[in-house]
Amino acid sequence: MNAAYLFRLACLSLASFFLVNGIAGAATALLSSTAIRIAETMRPRSAARVLFILRMLPSVLAMMVVLGLCVPSYLWLEPQFASERVGLACLLLTALAGMACSHSLIRTARAINASVRLRSEWLRSGLGASLNEKESHSAVDQQAMVVSQTEPVLALSGIFRPRMIISRGVLEALSKEQLDVAARHETAHRDSHDNLKRLFLVLSPEFFPCANGFAALEKTWVRFSEWAADDEAVQEDSQRALSLATALLRVARMGAQPRLSILQTSLLPEDQDLSARVDRLLCAEALPIDKASHTSSRPTVQALFLAVCAAALVGIPVTLSSVHRLLELFFR
Amino acid sequence: MIRLFKKRILGGNGHLEAPMLGPLELQLMQILWSHGESNVREVVCRLDRPLAYTTVMTTLDRLYKKGFLDRRMPDRAFVYAPKFSQEEWGRQRAESVVVGWLAGSQPSRDVLFSSFLDAVGQHDVKLLDELEKKIRRKRREMRRRERP
Repeated sequence: MNAAYLFRLACLSLASFFLVNGIAGAATALLSSTAIRIAETMRPRSAARVLFILRMLPSVLAMMVVLGLCVPSYLWLEPQFASERVGLACLLLTALAGMACSHSLIRTARAINASVRLRSEWLRSGLGASLNEKESHSAVDQQAMVVSQTEPVLALSGIFRPRMIISRGVLEALSKEQLDVAARHETAHRDSHDNLKRLFLVLSPEFFPCANGFAALEKTWVRFSEWAADDEAVQEDSQRALSLATALLRVARMGAQPRLSILQTSLLPEDQDLSARVDRLLCAEALPIDKASHTSSRPTVQALFLAVCAAALVGIPVTLSSVHRLLELFFR
Repeated sequence: MIRLFKKRILGGNGHLEAPMLGPLELQLMQILWSHGESNVREVVCRLDRPLAYTTVMTTLDRLYKKGFLDRRMPDRAFVYAPKFSQEEWGRQRAESVVVGWLAGSQPSRDVLFSSFLDAVGQHDVKLLDELEKKIRRKRREMRRRERP
């Protein structure tokens, strides 16, 4: 494989990624208000799932097309020593893809950096201690990190092994029941891998450099994931719902929270409607939890994946030839 | 950014051009903002406390000379109208306050930003009080239901 061959492959891959991501992303952005309206009629956990899938669909589709079709067809059918050069259109699309991907990579790096910095600050300034037996309640496991800040911090930090962070101020402000249900809320986020999902959201590029077409989808996803975590913490128990509402209020009264990284979830996210959350909790009888567990969608996803693979395998020679002929348009 | 604010707000003489209004002046401006173009007698009638006609006339004249009002004489009496909206005046006032703080020493700039951040970071106290009332009401309801 010579450099020119690899360069053509890289340009084709990026250009194809940009095209598929761009078209699918633009369609998603256009349909986002309809999707949000439909999601409002669903239960929070299901709504969050649908919105997350919709948001990730363009990038995932683009990756599948590039890795499943473009790269194999190129490697299989493109002669190594062809004298073709990359066309201007392909170069332009490659540049745009580069810009969009760089933007998302920089954004991700900043978010990870902010998350790591904050966590180091907490460890440095505070106790970094785990809860002792007296403080530890049923839902707050002893792995939770207590930090000495008086500012209100009750958050989940970390992507692959998230850990609960609680400030001394919050420990003192909340009663046992309130702390218990607030910790269950964070546990629900952990079980749902919400921090990992946030990483995917940040990594996933926009459909065009510097566009902001997914902002409404992402904001609504955050809202529904908070509501879902509330429902799972409360488990249809009105006393727990009341305790969680009270906990939210007490934490809000403690003043401004430290600005967390986008990769960290907090009991009280900054730009979320506290009033709507409290109203929901106070009508707890109307809040059935989504009985579908986090793992119940796995068999469906696996089956779908296998079906796609099977279809690809069956049609592989014909498909790859067609794709290769299409990609030849990028060369001159 | 600080220089941009200063250039926009400070005049050539270097003084702040922030429009300042006394209590009566503000009251008369609010009447004109609410009701539009009015003569002196109409403004006097709309005041919430009795004031002499000449007092109101003099104040309106002062507002005209300060540049807050336009005036014309369709009959034998002047009719006054605000030169800019209440929102525009509010914006100019806010800008002049910010520039005043920014033109000051570093500590006063720090206080300004810290206050803004506090205001942005905290929830509205009134809202929290309302939510607290709702929670107390709910708690009482639940206690009543639990009683045999």
